[in-house]
Amino acid sequence: MRLSRQEISRIFPVFVISLFCITVIAGLLGTLLPSMNYLPVIGNTRFSLSVWFDFFSYPGIQTSILVTLFSGLTASFGVVILALLFITVSYGNALWKFFEKILSSVLSIPHAAFAIGFGFLIAPSGWLIRMVSPGLTGFTYPPDWILLNDPAGISLAIALVIKEFPFLIMVTMGALGQLDIEKTLLTGRALGYKKEQIWLKILIPRLYPHLRLSIFAIIAYSLSVVDMAIILGPSSPPPLAVLILKWFNDPDMSFKLIAAAGSLFLFFIVLLSILSVYFIERSVGGFSRRWILNGSRHSFLGSFKRVIFFMGSCTIVFTLVSSVILVIWSLTWQWRFPDFLPDAWTLKFWTKGLVSSLDPVITTLFTGMAAAFIGLILTIGCLEHDVNSQKNQIRKNKASNYNKTLYYFLYLPLLVPQITFMTGIQLLLVIMKMDGYWITLMGSHLLFVLPYMFIVLSTTYQAFDRRLTDQAMLLKGSYTMVLFRIKLPMLLRPILFSFAIGFSVSVAQYIPTILVGAGKFSTITTEVVSIASGSDRRIIAVYALIQQFLPMMMYALAIIIPKSLYYNRKGMEV
Amino acid sequence: MSLELEKVSILKLGSTIFDPVNLVIKPGEITTVMGPSGCGKSTLLSAVSGSLDRAFTLNGSIRLYGRELLNQPMEERNIGILFQDDLLFPHMDIGSNLAFAIKEKTSRAQRNRIINKALKTAGLKGFEKRDPSSLSGGQKARISLLRSLLAEPAALLLDEPFSTLDQILKAKIRPFVFSQIRRMNIPALLVTHDPLDCPEGGMILNLKKEEG
Repeated sequence: MRLSRQEISRIFPVFVISLFCITVIAGLLGTLLPSMNYLPVIGNTRFSLSVWFDFFSYPGIQTSILVTLFSGLTASFGVVILALLFITVSYGNALWKFFEKILSSVLSIPHAAFAIGFGFLIAPSGWLIRMVSPGLTGFTYPPDWILLNDPAGISLAIALVIKEFPFLIMVTMGALGQLDIEKTLLTGRALGYKKEQIWLKILIPRLYPHLRLSIFAIIAYSLSVVDMAIILGPSSPPPLAVLILKWFNDPDMSFKLIAAAGSLFLFFIVLLSILSVYFIERSVGGFSRRWILNGSRHSFLGSFKRVIFFMGSCTIVFTLVSSVILVIWSLTWQWRFPDFLPDAWTLKFWTKGLVSSLDPVITTLFTGMAAAFIGLILTIGCLEHDVNSQKNQIRKNKASNYNKTLYYFLYLPLLVPQITFMTGIQLLLVIMKMDGYWITLMGSHLLFVLPYMFIVLSTTYQAFDRRLTDQAMLLKGSYTMVLFRIKLPMLLRPILFSFAIGFSVSVAQYIPTILVGAGKFSTITTEVVSIASGSDRRIIAVYALIQQFLPMMMYALAIIIPKSLYYNRKGMEV
Repeated sequence: MSLELEKVSILKLGSTIFDPVNLVIKPGEITTVMGPSGCGKSTLLSAVSGSLDRAFTLNGSIRLYGRELLNQPMEERNIGILFQDDLLFPHMDIGSNLAFAIKEKTSRAQRNRIINKALKTAGLKGFEKRDPSSLSGGQKARISLLRSLLAEPAALLLDEPFSTLDQILKAKIRPFVFSQIRRMNIPALLVTHDPLDCPEGGMILNLKKEEG
């Protein structure tokens, strides 16, 4: 029997769904078993609750949990409220348009590189204090304030807000395309409502459902972040996620059991937080109905407009200035304290850093390219399956749509805390004696690369003009020819863009690399985090810039390649 | 005896869209299907081409040179379609657009000769390296037709191919299209709502909906 295209292409969504299901279940199982004292590698095979007692009686554990909750939840609430208010006051204005332009380059900055630059800004000897010293402050020595690594995790929370803000704005921009903003604004204004009121009363309630999953992902991320927490967070005791990693890497293997219990507990915290946010959302929805319909056209936001505007701009300024300060430090030879700029410059640290980072950079490149390439094949395969099953006019068998299901599964790795998931996978790999292979490392990156690639490519891919492929099919009669000579070349730009996103997500992975790599592989990201505390600022800056440069290079290629291939094709410009 | 439609009717949600259609189009002939918008002209065309939406059910028989088409997928029917829009591939130059349509196993030199000759008949000599978006509407329409014919279809369907052009251009393009079809000697089915589009002496079918 000849299989139809639809039947063949079904393999892609089925493969992706099973891959995601199996790994998430394996990840949870891999934490559950060791947390119940089952880890045959160290001879523990008798189930007991002793691990949990050890976990809860670990010194400073309460503080760790509290810091995690405080910094993670403050950051999540902060970024959601700031982003929603920012849209309300600045949708469509000049700043918004500027945002649209620089968004993808801001998003490509890896978390670790940003955290380092941010630290260089806010530290007692950082650029911010230098800017006002000694003029305003009179400082000739850095003050002994605790600005970085503060015990409550405030600097970490602020950095998380700044880093997540452009992400949420990007998701919003995508969702706004599906609502008729202009018409709603016009109708509302004709009824006498102020613009901000229309946003708060009509548009944001309609927008929110589109953001829900991304907000949940932000909560999961903020509560379980490791790389940024190592750089900016408190150290004694550190947030739970950092503590888990410390336990996991302890030479005493029995700590792996506590690490598993901690991971599971963190998963529980995330789950509980997401559930409470869901209930808060429902009750706010209920309470606000009366306010929405009360007819008041007065906007209380009017007076805060400037403040929101200022805070939104600050996030961008901080992101950009964090990169600038890295460039300055990387070229510094001598920089005395209150001086605004270094008094002697050098390229020495670049030559040194480029040589010593060569191996990790090569590993990063290979892993990122492989993960993004496989991610691309799977993404295109799933999207083509969608197209094939939508219009299967001849054989009228039921075209079950796997892609709807797929959307939910794709979010799974983003909703389960990375450290839980990866601790479990790694413990399972250790149990099966399959740890420390490059292929599993790359596979672990793929889990986080694929969702972003899919989300980014799907909109453009589904909007492709079917008549062009139909016409090509009539002319050539070969599906492969049409796919590879017409459709994919025409979609080159979004495809390369999706590849660049996948690559940049892979570059930024810290936890999967550290855990699944089993210490055998170091990427530029693991290097950056490991030298972040205690090393020379100048060499840290060089490493952070190299980390930042890799994704940027891929984005640049994604722009340059289609431009040069299609330089004489006006129809390909968007 | 070339393109035959026998008792073709299309159902949507259990009710027919138009009276059953019976048609015989001989090689070189152009039959026009007319009717107001929404009467099912384009649906009839997609039934012949094989791109009918799943929401429709098709009854009757469609044969091309005696071969039953209904159970064949679109790409195996060997039918060309000319749409309202030119649908030139924007990432290829004119030469490549035409070359894409030419059957495999043609040598490169032969291919170039065919393209060269085709462009000459359309008065577009030397356009091989041009960017499709640099062409005028009329030029694009001509290239699009040439491309459809270079695939050597056994029949050609025209779905309001002139509707995006203005009256003066239409008057110029029509004779070119009709003469090319006659030259190829293939049956053609044209769908339009403009009576001026009908070729002289061609058959005209008015689609109407069953009453009651």
